[in-house]
Amino acid sequence: MFRDIIKNTQAMVGLTILLIIFIFALFAPYLAQNDPVDVNPVLKFKEPSSNYPLGTDNLGRCVYSRLIHGARYSLFIAIPILFSLAFISIILGTITAYYGGLFDKILNVICNIFMAFPPLIIVLSLVGSLGQGMINIAVSVVISMWVWFVRVIRSYVLEEKNKQYVISARISGCSDFRIILKHIMPNTMPQIIVYFSTGISGIILMISGFAFLGIGIEKGLPEWGAMLSDGKSNLYSNPQLLIYPGVCILLTAAGFNLFGEALRDIISKEEG
Amino acid sequence: MIQVNDIYKTYKIKDKYGNKSTLNAVNGVSFTLKENTSYSLVGQSGSGKSTLAKLLVFVEKSTEGEIFIDGENLSLLSKDQIRKKRSNFQMVMQDAKSSLNPKYTVFESISEPLLIFEKLSKNQLNHRVMNLLNMVELPQELTERYPHQLSGGQLKRICIARAIALNPKLIVFDEAVSGLDVTVRKKILELLIRLRKKLSATYLFITHDIDVALFLSKNVFVMKDGVIVEYNQNANDFSSFKHEYSKLLIKSLPPVYPSQNNNLKVNII
Repeated sequence: MFRDIIKNTQAMVGLTILLIIFIFALFAPYLAQNDPVDVNPVLKFKEPSSNYPLGTDNLGRCVYSRLIHGARYSLFIAIPILFSLAFISIILGTITAYYGGLFDKILNVICNIFMAFPPLIIVLSLVGSLGQGMINIAVSVVISMWVWFVRVIRSYVLEEKNKQYVISARISGCSDFRIILKHIMPNTMPQIIVYFSTGISGIILMISGFAFLGIGIEKGLPEWGAMLSDGKSNLYSNPQLLIYPGVCILLTAAGFNLFGEALRDIISKEEG
Repeated sequence: MIQVNDIYKTYKIKDKYGNKSTLNAVNGVSFTLKENTSYSLVGQSGSGKSTLAKLLVFVEKSTEGEIFIDGENLSLLSKDQIRKKRSNFQMVMQDAKSSLNPKYTVFESISEPLLIFEKLSKNQLNHRVMNLLNMVELPQELTERYPHQLSGGQLKRICIARAIALNPKLIVFDEAVSGLDVTVRKKILELLIRLRKKLSATYLFITHDIDVALFLSKNVFVMKDGVIVEYNQNANDFSSFKHEYSKLLIKSLPPVYPSQNNNLKVNII
């Protein structure tokens, strides 16, 4: 599979974009020249220079430093959310699909109730009661999204558990635990990886969208969505303040999507 | 000895309008399978043969009835207790390719039952798998191949190796040669005959071809609509069958030579 990924142009483009963004996020303190939250009204709307490679914003903050630190916020909120969603959905989706019965029926009812409300409404209500903050927005997104992920994982496992090789494994004496771990999981994992790698771009867009609306992220933090929101009042005089974070969000989402979709093509080719 | 007492399997089904009804796949079947003896079970598609096979290896739970193996009523046991006794009854499923995990190599597929039921060292396991490959007449170079890299005949042999790995008391072969081309089919049938002589177990060959059933065993059950309509204990040739349905199955066989067409009166239903 790794060879196929290396040979696939789309996957490599996606991976390269993601690698660059990850390097920015990991080494942000070393790559950023200035403090991203340091306000200096004297330096507002400065042209790009050696000290401020992309100029400054309406409060005199270094746009380049803010963009680089923004990668940290986008990825470091989205990735824990994704891992939490993966943990919950893989365990619940697999167990309910495999065993069925009353627990599966109860979970279905819970899923239907949660899915009746758009995630935005759930997040708005939760942030309203929990308060602003990165942890609160992450918790709210997980609570609003887990049912969607559980449903998808459940459908993958349901499809797999009725295949003949699972029945054959049971005849050979495999326990339920072994069947799930050694047979069902390895065969559903490629689909799950593809689903999560495309799903993370949705989460990044969601967090940026909430930050743009002023939900979740504290004011002044260099989150890309919040930067878009700050820049919108200067749309005509300084459009670059919207373009830069907009391009960053677009590239990150595109990177995950390109990689995820290429992965799907590679896996479906392998299965075919 | 395997004794099946008045076994039933009923499925609840829904039609496209959501109306519920029941389907009796196996309808009060009783028989006894003696030790180290081979049997054939023949019937057309939908007659309940495969369901009966799944009941015998406890993949499906019977709605009613009992199955005794060496005097022990296994129908009363829990799922976990059944699992511990699985080394006694194995099954080779109809579609060899889909009954092997696509992520497992040949070695992993064959060694899995051994890993579960026997505590073997790496060398012992390797030795056992190689022995099994020899028994099913497959080259040892195939051990690292995946199912999609093997032919239909090779896949069938791997399924057989997996089933015989634990020396079970009962081996059920569900449509052992269906979907194989004629040359491979002949080789697999011959392999089954050789294995039957080598390994002491009770064999139940399930097929829809009465000629294959007769080739594999002289003890032939004929099944129709979930019921065994004839049991022929010493079926030497087609003339031994007395039931109308058995005769219909014989008449439905394709002619060996085109000229035979004139002598056959096939009832088409």
